[in-house]
Amino acid sequence: MTLTWLGRVALYICFVGSIGGVTEQIVALRHRRASRALWWAGLSLAGIVAAIAVMEFALVTHNFSLAYVAENNATFTPLLYSITGMWSALEGSLMLWVLLQSLVTLGVLFYYRRDAADAVVRWAGLILFSIGGFFTLIMMGPADPFIHNAALVHQGAGPNALLQDNPLVAIHPPLLYLGFVGFSVPFAFAIAMLITGRVQDRWPLEQRRWTVLAWGSLSLGIVLGAWWSYQVLGWGGFWGWDPVENAALLPWLTATAYIHSVIVQDRRGLFRVWNLSLAVATFALTILGTFFTRSGVLVSVHAFSSSTLGPILIGFFFVIVVVGAGLLAWRGDRLRAPVGVDHPLSREGLFVANNILFVGFAIVVLLGTVFPLLYQAINGTQVTVGTPYFASVAAPVAVVLLLLMAIAPLVSWRSADAKVLWERTRVSAWAGVVAVVLLLIFGVRRPAEVVAVFLSVLAAGAALRTLRGALVAAIRRGAWRSVLRAPATGGMIVHLGVVILALGIVTSTTYVRRAEVTLASGQSTVVDGQLVRFMGFHAVSDALRSATQLKVSVDGHELRPAVTTYHGRGGTTVGTPAIDSNLARDVYVTFDAVGGNGSTSGAQVQNNLPAGSVVLGVTVEPLLAWLWLGGLTIGLGSALSFFRRRYGDEASK
Amino acid sequence: MVSALTAMVVVVALSLFLATRHPVGGATNTQSPLLGKMAPVVSGARLGGGSPLNIKDDRGKVIVVNFWASWCGPCVTEAPNLSTFAWQERNRGVVVVGVVFDDTVSAAQAFATHYGSLYPSVIDPGGVITNRYGVTSPPTTFIINAKGVVVATLIGPVSTRQLEVAVAKVKA
Amino acid sequence: MAFVAVVTFAVVLNPHGSNASARIAHLETLVRCPSCDDLSVAVSNATSAIAVRHEIAAKVHEGQSDNKILTSLESAYGTSILLSPPTSGLGVLLWIVPLFGLLILIASAIRLTRRR
Repeated sequence: MTLTWLGRVALYICFVGSIGGVTEQIVALRHRRASRALWWAGLSLAGIVAAIAVMEFALVTHNFSLAYVAENNATFTPLLYSITGMWSALEGSLMLWVLLQSLVTLGVLFYYRRDAADAVVRWAGLILFSIGGFFTLIMMGPADPFIHNAALVHQGAGPNALLQDNPLVAIHPPLLYLGFVGFSVPFAFAIAMLITGRVQDRWPLEQRRWTVLAWGSLSLGIVLGAWWSYQVLGWGGFWGWDPVENAALLPWLTATAYIHSVIVQDRRGLFRVWNLSLAVATFALTILGTFFTRSGVLVSVHAFSSSTLGPILIGFFFVIVVVGAGLLAWRGDRLRAPVGVDHPLSREGLFVANNILFVGFAIVVLLGTVFPLLYQAINGTQVTVGTPYFASVAAPVAVVLLLLMAIAPLVSWRSADAKVLWERTRVSAWAGVVAVVLLLIFGVRRPAEVVAVFLSVLAAGAALRTLRGALVAAIRRGAWRSVLRAPATGGMIVHLGVVILALGIVTSTTYVRRAEVTLASGQSTVVDGQLVRFMGFHAVSDALRSATQLKVSVDGHELRPAVTTYHGRGGTTVGTPAIDSNLARDVYVTFDAVGGNGSTSGAQVQNNLPAGSVVLGVTVEPLLAWLWLGGLTIGLGSALSFFRRRYGDEASK
Repeated sequence: MVSALTAMVVVVALSLFLATRHPVGGATNTQSPLLGKMAPVVSGARLGGGSPLNIKDDRGKVIVVNFWASWCGPCVTEAPNLSTFAWQERNRGVVVVGVVFDDTVSAAQAFATHYGSLYPSVIDPGGVITNRYGVTSPPTTFIINAKGVVVATLIGPVSTRQLEVAVAKVKA
Repeated sequence: MAFVAVVTFAVVLNPHGSNASARIAHLETLVRCPSCDDLSVAVSNATSAIAVRHEIAAKVHEGQSDNKILTSLESAYGTSILLSPPTSGLGVLLWIVPLFGLLILIASAIRLTRRR
């Protein structure tokens, strides 16, 4: 009983902090006096930290008097997975969300504390407090994490098997949520700018700074999620166009458009309405994403389940869109810049294409995700919209985006001169042709791969050229380190990361080779040039799980693919893949079936096999590790971009 | 202005549409009069030939009894899930037994062969078993614990996950 | 530029191999594993997926056309077994929207040029 009481009180304190912050900002705006918002933000943060402390204490000490702990923890759950159990289910995940929201609110108010009297900062603070308050309110009602468990339970169900066999469960959700929560900042600032009418001077770029932070976290979060799925799900893939995956992708797409579009606003004052709309849309899509993940309306392997949160979250989404659109309509005329885009192939023109492409793709992904619901409502039958559809739409979009990356950094503002462009891309173009010729000589002929390589070389060339230009200029000024804060540096590094990522995706999916091999102990075989040898069985058992491992050697390295049964929850059995990875290729091995009458391994039995032999699934994917490398580079680039100088600022700062 | 208006209309429509969707449940857990009572006898000729089947032989294990028919659409949806589940649990004290609901032997046989059923089914001439269990329409699934007591009734097509959760509750 | 355009079309309209194993591999990417949420039978190792893979292979060797195989699977498992909705009826919306988007892109480019 005490833990329930403590936890709930802590949540109430957090809520009081949010409400206090809202009222404080309203009063401060009205009466133009100093605001104590920082204190209220601190109170809110203290409340949620206390609530989390209560929950973590219960999880780490396996205290089953909380129903949440009884459902997500067991006495033999290791410490790491007890701690991460806090966000393994719906109610706890909301606590992580509110924690990050409170941190972000406090961070923003602190960062702008010298501008605390500015109406824009006050309105932004008000919005941020309201969002935090909304999510805390949900936890005080329909999604209470501190429900008391009346039954005297000696053992909990333990976390879901797939959430306790990889340490990435400690990193992926926090990064992802930091991204989602982070998008509330540009949204808050957009609303604040619209209400106060001040859409110029420094605020758009400040807004962008926070968006880059959120975007970088979300990008890393998504890539780590892909890496995690790759390591545990057993099919060698990393993206399934699953509704929850799409839900994370949608705000990422509009945020990417926004980050690019704001550059034009910074340079030439254009696209103000677009940018404000994109900021509102990104946060709205984040909320829509939480709806898909928590309402249970779409079937997904990643979804939490609930039924009462659906209408509440959709209501919130609705309010956000109406408020945002309403403000845009009210202020719209005042916002339009007097000048326009001069030429479709000038840099501004290409940014327009960029905006339309990203927003368009987001709309198509959204349509594909909700389409099964639409179809069922109208026709009554069920349909699936899966990879074939999404991949066919994504492929041409990706090609055009690579092309844009190859040209846009080198094109001038306001005009399009083909000769100048050719001058700047000549070296990359020839390098690209050489690369293609080399590929063809070595027998790499698939059109997808050839096109991807050619465009990647061009895009990388454009990025490198821009970086070189900035570095040269910095050296001439005698301060080479200032290149790190040059306007384009972070962005060009991100582009390089995207190129690496794209090459990894295209190569690994075009040239993947899957094989099922049957081996007796001591036998070996060759799959796509990789020597695979099966050496025997090995049983592992501890408090947490029992596993039958296979000793397999790939190219001289030992791997242990296994079939693992996690105790608790009636004993779920999952396959545990093993991966041999290097920069050239990944070899992905799974324990698919065993011969004879099977063992206690839980693996499927194949009847016409002698006992002691196994069926291994071997998948060879070239350049797969480039995905993770690319993701890391994107993260690095976005970190640099956070510190970007504003165009026109003194370079020596 | 027109584009903004159309966008607003689309968003409003989408929000209303999504707000009125029901969460996907698959089969619904229902209050049948059998809950908490000893499971009625399921015995009879095995579909496809072979020795007659009686679930009394499996006392001590968790038994999943599934009423199905070849003409029933949702039974098609749940057939692979039941087989996957039956296979998964075959060494772990869970058996799945099907009962053919109001169907001809040839049609049922064709269905079971076509969907590669990995669990045995009992033919129910005269619908005696169906009556005992009070099944009005397939697919209906009963979960019986090791002591022979009915602990859950699921109406509608079951997913593997639902079966796992339901059976885990019994074993706990 | 012309080179890029031509090759883009090659990517989008990538013709599939017409020999048996290539057809089987292609069909397997279009069919959902019956007891999974969104994996194709090409990649899933669930019992039901393996069964469907054997069925597809058998039908291809019998000489049935791609369309016939997909239709027979659809009538056996329901429309949701295909990873792409039918292109007739409501499904056409899924293709109209992207095409519409493309038209908007081209139209705005033209409008920008005219404004000069």
